[in-house]
Amino acid sequence: MLLDNKIVRKYFTWALDTTRESHLRTLSDVPLFKSVSKKLLRKLLIDLIEKKYTAGDIIFHEGESGKAVYVVLEGSVKIIKKTNSENKALAVLGPGSHFGELSLIGQCSRFATAIAEKDSLLLIMYKSYFEDLIRGNSAISSRILLNLAEILSNYIQRDQSE
Amino acid sequence: MKEGRLKGDTSLTDLRRLRHQMPRWVLVLLACGVAAFVAFHITHLLIMLIAATVVAYIFSSVITAFERFGIKRSVAVIMLFVLTAVFVIGADLIFIPDLKQEIMHAYGKFPEFSRQIQDALLLTAQRSAEKYPVIESSIIKLVDNVFGPSGFLERTLNASEILMQATPFIMALILVPFFVFFLLKDWPGVMKKAIDWVPPSYVETTISVIAEINILVGKYLRGLAADCVVIGILASIGLWLIGINYPIMLGIVSGVANIVPYLGPIIGCSVSSLVALMQYRSFDPVLNVVVLYLAIKLLDDLVIQPLMIGKSVHLHPMLLVITLIVGEKLFGIMGMILGVPFVTVAQKTAGILLEHRRETQKRECTQRLILHRLGRSPVRPI
Repeated sequence: MLLDNKIVRKYFTWALDTTRESHLRTLSDVPLFKSVSKKLLRKLLIDLIEKKYTAGDIIFHEGESGKAVYVVLEGSVKIIKKTNSENKALAVLGPGSHFGELSLIGQCSRFATAIAEKDSLLLIMYKSYFEDLIRGNSAISSRILLNLAEILSNYIQRDQSE
Repeated sequence: MKEGRLKGDTSLTDLRRLRHQMPRWVLVLLACGVAAFVAFHITHLLIMLIAATVVAYIFSSVITAFERFGIKRSVAVIMLFVLTAVFVIGADLIFIPDLKQEIMHAYGKFPEFSRQIQDALLLTAQRSAEKYPVIESSIIKLVDNVFGPSGFLERTLNASEILMQATPFIMALILVPFFVFFLLKDWPGVMKKAIDWVPPSYVETTISVIAEINILVGKYLRGLAADCVVIGILASIGLWLIGINYPIMLGIVSGVANIVPYLGPIIGCSVSSLVALMQYRSFDPVLNVVVLYLAIKLLDDLVIQPLMIGKSVHLHPMLLVITLIVGEKLFGIMGMILGVPFVTVAQKTAGILLEHRRETQKRECTQRLILHRLGRSPVRPI
């Protein structure tokens, strides 16, 4: 890759997309994309959409049909689940975290509500782009699906221990 | 009086409420409508913008490929333009001398060709004069309209007329690449601003619509462009092999005409058959040309199109004919060429939006039903 070449880094910085490179570093820390090569992540990054949310914005509601996965670049996002009549905070996610990954599997509806706790910058990956990408690339698809399976098994284990 | 004032106040409040309730996308649609109305009255500009959008869409995958190497988008666009310039200059050195020779030769031979067609038509008119006088008068009228003084050919091939028709073409040659450059360079920025503008609750639906349209339209337009190039090359090689004059020129005509479904291959075949007829003055080479175009069409339908475009995008034959007629009426030949991709994209976009609407309504209905069953909603589900 061009960006990995030292000479290119030194003399052609003006031609290289440094913003995308910093997004790439964040993305490589995301558990969903663990062990996915930088080359494949760059490919994935092209189709991701960046969106700013102000504190208090509802990103998605519980029960809605999920169409996208989110990665937190800046700020923080609170995940809330309605139990009986009260809201229970399941997690507060910071930069490098992801949420909404269940939408990648079938026609899953949102399990909880996501609210921007602070002003946040999120990367959004739409399901169809993901499907389009894995259709043409078995390496990236098997890696991400394995990560997804690992994340889901962690959820089940945590749920059982609680 | 009081009642009237009250009514006026109510309608004013209603208007204010409507303004606040009106989603931003309605305003965007209204703005687009006004823009479309203005653009309709500046036909050339609209055609150039549509052509630029199509070209930008086709080349966006090349830009994406550059971006995957970590190159900045603006630099990638400049690189694409430099590469295109190199390609055009290369093609100019290799193909243009032959093409120029073909065009000059065809232009020089044209009076002879038209005289031959005129003679053949008048002979047919004379032969059918006794039995079918209507046909004779129709043919004479046609010959007069096409070949006569101030007829179609005289008007089309007139130097000043060519110059007048060439002016918008030259303008398009300058403006379309200009528009393409900025569309390619700034499109993601525009999209980012647009997404930032969308209220959070509409983000997922907006992105899903954009993504689905993007995947589909990109696939369709790139497939169509590749299909036309392949058809053009096949026609050129085929015509050269069966010894028909002007294979490069006829290949280009066939490739461009192929954009128009059904009618395109017929146009390509007709033009090549006419050239074959003039060249050999016999119907045998014409038969070869027809067989060649049938073979190309078969190959196109069975192999090339399913491979490059897929079966997801298709216009109903009736809608296709209406598109061609309306396109021709509004914007001439360019309307026919660009009308089909434009309507196909519009049809698919409408389909996606309707599907999303149905999905949302279904979800809302299910939620209301659940709430009603739980006894939390006094409203019965619709």
